[in-house]
Amino acid sequence: MIGSDPREPSSKGYKLLQVLVLALFCLVLLRLWHLQVLQGEEYVDKARQNLMRERSIYPLRGAIRARNGEILAENKPAYALGLVREDCNNIEAALSRVSDWTGISLQKLEKRYNKGKSQVDPFKPIILVQSLPFSQLARIETRLMSWAGLQIISRPKRHYPQTPVFSHVLGYVAQANQQELRNHPQVQSGDNIGKRGLEQALDNRLRGEKGREILEVDAQGRVLKERVIARPESGETVRLTIDADLQRFIWREMDKQAGAVVVMRPHNGNVLALVSKPGYDGNAFVEGISEQKWHKLLSNRRDPLRNRAVQSTYPPGSVFKLVIASAALSRKAVPLDKQLHCPGFYRLGNRVFHCWKEEGHGDVALKEAIKQSCDVYFYKLGEKLGIDAISQYARSNGFHQETGILLPDENQGLIPGREWKKRHIGRSWQGGDTLNTAIGQGYTLVTPIQMARYVAALLNGGYLLRPNLLARKEPKQRGRLPLSGEELNFLLRSMRATVEEPHGTAWRLRTRDAVIGGKTGTAQVIKLKDKFLDQETEVIPYKYRDHAWMVSYGIKGQKKYVVAALIEHGGHGSSAAGPLVKSIYDYLFH
Amino acid sequence: MPFLDRRTLSQFNWSLLFLLLLLAGLGILNLYSAGTLRVDKGVTTSFYYQKQIFWFAIGLSAIPVIIIFNYRHLKEIVWPLYSVTIALLAYVLVFGTSISGAKRWVDLGPISFQPTELAKVSVILLIAALLSRISGPVGWKGLGGILGIVAIPVVLIFLQPDLGSGLNILMLVGGMLLFKGISKRVFLTCLVGLPLLAPGAWFMLLDYQKERILTFLHPHMDPLGAGYNTIQSQIAVGSGQVWGKGFLEGTQSQLRFLPAKHTDFAFSVFGEEWGFVGCIFLLALFCLFLYQLVVVAGTSKDAFGSYIVCGVFFYFFWQVLINIGMVLGLMPIVGIPLPFFSYGGSSTLINCILLGLVFSISMRRYIFTQK
Repeated sequence: MIGSDPREPSSKGYKLLQVLVLALFCLVLLRLWHLQVLQGEEYVDKARQNLMRERSIYPLRGAIRARNGEILAENKPAYALGLVREDCNNIEAALSRVSDWTGISLQKLEKRYNKGKSQVDPFKPIILVQSLPFSQLARIETRLMSWAGLQIISRPKRHYPQTPVFSHVLGYVAQANQQELRNHPQVQSGDNIGKRGLEQALDNRLRGEKGREILEVDAQGRVLKERVIARPESGETVRLTIDADLQRFIWREMDKQAGAVVVMRPHNGNVLALVSKPGYDGNAFVEGISEQKWHKLLSNRRDPLRNRAVQSTYPPGSVFKLVIASAALSRKAVPLDKQLHCPGFYRLGNRVFHCWKEEGHGDVALKEAIKQSCDVYFYKLGEKLGIDAISQYARSNGFHQETGILLPDENQGLIPGREWKKRHIGRSWQGGDTLNTAIGQGYTLVTPIQMARYVAALLNGGYLLRPNLLARKEPKQRGRLPLSGEELNFLLRSMRATVEEPHGTAWRLRTRDAVIGGKTGTAQVIKLKDKFLDQETEVIPYKYRDHAWMVSYGIKGQKKYVVAALIEHGGHGSSAAGPLVKSIYDYLFH
Repeated sequence: MPFLDRRTLSQFNWSLLFLLLLLAGLGILNLYSAGTLRVDKGVTTSFYYQKQIFWFAIGLSAIPVIIIFNYRHLKEIVWPLYSVTIALLAYVLVFGTSISGAKRWVDLGPISFQPTELAKVSVILLIAALLSRISGPVGWKGLGGILGIVAIPVVLIFLQPDLGSGLNILMLVGGMLLFKGISKRVFLTCLVGLPLLAPGAWFMLLDYQKERILTFLHPHMDPLGAGYNTIQSQIAVGSGQVWGKGFLEGTQSQLRFLPAKHTDFAFSVFGEEWGFVGCIFLLALFCLFLYQLVVVAGTSKDAFGSYIVCGVFFYFFWQVLINIGMVLGLMPIVGIPLPFFSYGGSSTLINCILLGLVFSISMRRYIFTQK
């Protein structure tokens, strides 16, 4: 049987096998040529991208210190939990695991993830948890290995140890929004950026520069090697002119009142205290403020997010008489000893304008008019100067313009004029408008920082300086009052008389061991209804009460200060703001 | 009676042995690299290459044993062998040990064993025996009979499910039929008819098998999902460029981007590290090896031997073609290993056993003239 079968397979069969081998060789050779020789470089790039990831190293944001070195804004280590979606093969499972670990609801995590998906590169982490508590950190870190794509990212977290006392000076950092991301190409989605206050104004200096490291990873996203290719550069540390103790003292003294206080050195414009009440907790924003808290802040009628010292404007009331007086001086509109009669009212056409003192001041000259804040004298002065002169003069004295203080969204205030009224109110300027402007009511609006700077200029020889917050910075002049030394002295003497002499409205500032000058003001919130007329402040509902102004200077030896205070709905300037300013001088000169 | 005389011994096919050792050596070297992973700053090597050496050693020592027996006696046991195979395949479906979802293993205490590999040997032998009895081109009757015989083990293998091995058996039988010669009418009918069957076959595929075919057609549809294997293996081979990245330097494989790199994708590790030049060298080795089989088939003095070698040829040919084609993105991903390169004890052993048969046939090509 064996070997009996004939040689069956035809020679065609062998040909077939040979052709197949040759075909195999050619086919594979061509494909290899295509892949390795023609497209080789392309694939080398792909292989490199596969295993190289770039990661940012977060820099330390520059600290902010008070003038004595006390830390106002610092960094604390924090650990965020991120998810690199290209490395994660089961997003759903990873998210629900993170939810188990942290107690954050799955819904919330999914929301964060979906939001991040549209903003973050596929190979960069989407931040799921901004800051892991230490109690969770260790536990999560040990379990991370089995969850490809999840990673802990160390990045410094901003902390404000002195919030809310410094909240309006410092502002805060929070996650950058779409617009900020567009404006700052160095900031990546999920990064914090300075919002409000110095954090915003100095963001470029404080931010520092991110470092970069190259990670060699495997297919699960596990990091095998790290190589730093650019070290992070810490942001600049900033020292302020703010006296932390003084700031705290004023904060405490203001108690529950809303308002603003600015303490400034007249010769260089350095701001020693800038308090705005109420404030807010800057730390609440750092890790993303809850919607509930945010709405509470926004809907708070006392508007804690507003920096009243630079962003709020108020009618200046009688403190504006200083500006009118100096306009009269510089234009020689009235001789210093020229007395004008105040019967308690002033008639213009068929309208009657009252002095605050119903029975009138009698015959008063300029100094007395300032000291007693005689409205009728200033009605007359205003009429004589005319609105064009007043408007032009006030604007050249630093009103209706920003002071240039290093805080964002400064309000420039408003000095009305004929043209302004035409354009914005749609009616022509009336004689009564001029009278109202002359006593600081009507349309005129100023900020506390503008008032402080104005008084500082009276003291330093007429220089309008930029209010300065940064230590070791040369004063910068932004204008000059057109007054001689004699005229400046006259105004200062008048302010001093307002404090020291009988019938002076700022008598509450009187003190034995220092020279104090001041001017009170009462800014009308609304035209008082008849029923509130003559009633004591305490009886009038809060929101109808007038704002109280007190601008002042104090000199003791070489020490010179300007203090400007505004108490919202405080009632009369002297009674509401007086004791506060007095306590500040006591503190400064103790 | 002496199983081997000096004459037979002198006809030993040294070039085939040389090619076998060279391929196996390269395969083991490549496995050493494929098993190496970079972890932190060091490197860990898994023991795949050692196990492969062990199995290859067993396979090599089996070759002389097979050579001693005259392959012609196998003709008498082809049916019992076939029956045992069917029994084992059925057994494994019911009682087999499941590894990653597929029941393929018979547990024999210390070692486990895949009846699928046995099926490859027994089908080759049975079909070779049947073909050698048919004279002239295969007609409808012969084709029907052979397909019926092959269908039973193939269906059992498909059920495991092991698409790759089943296809390999079907295709090697197809190759043997072509080698034998099919009548023109049958051939033309099949040429037209088989494509019509394709849609039917599609519905019999499992979801993951369909997905593989779809991702072959559009690998970039889901680059981190189903298309991942194809893309990553092409990146590995392509980035090897002309000269390769060097032994143990392949970033794709060392960093775990390559899937199944010690089994189905071993060639992409080789391609990455040795480049175009190394690949051409390896390809040439495989082709020389296959050509040696063609030579043995052609010089065999009986049809049975000739058909056996033909079966072995197609067994290797399809594996090389499909595996390399799959690694290079020319074919959908099917679990078919690259002979000598892919890690696997059973397949290494079966490769050696089949080559043992080839050696045996090659040595006895002059036996008739002696008679």
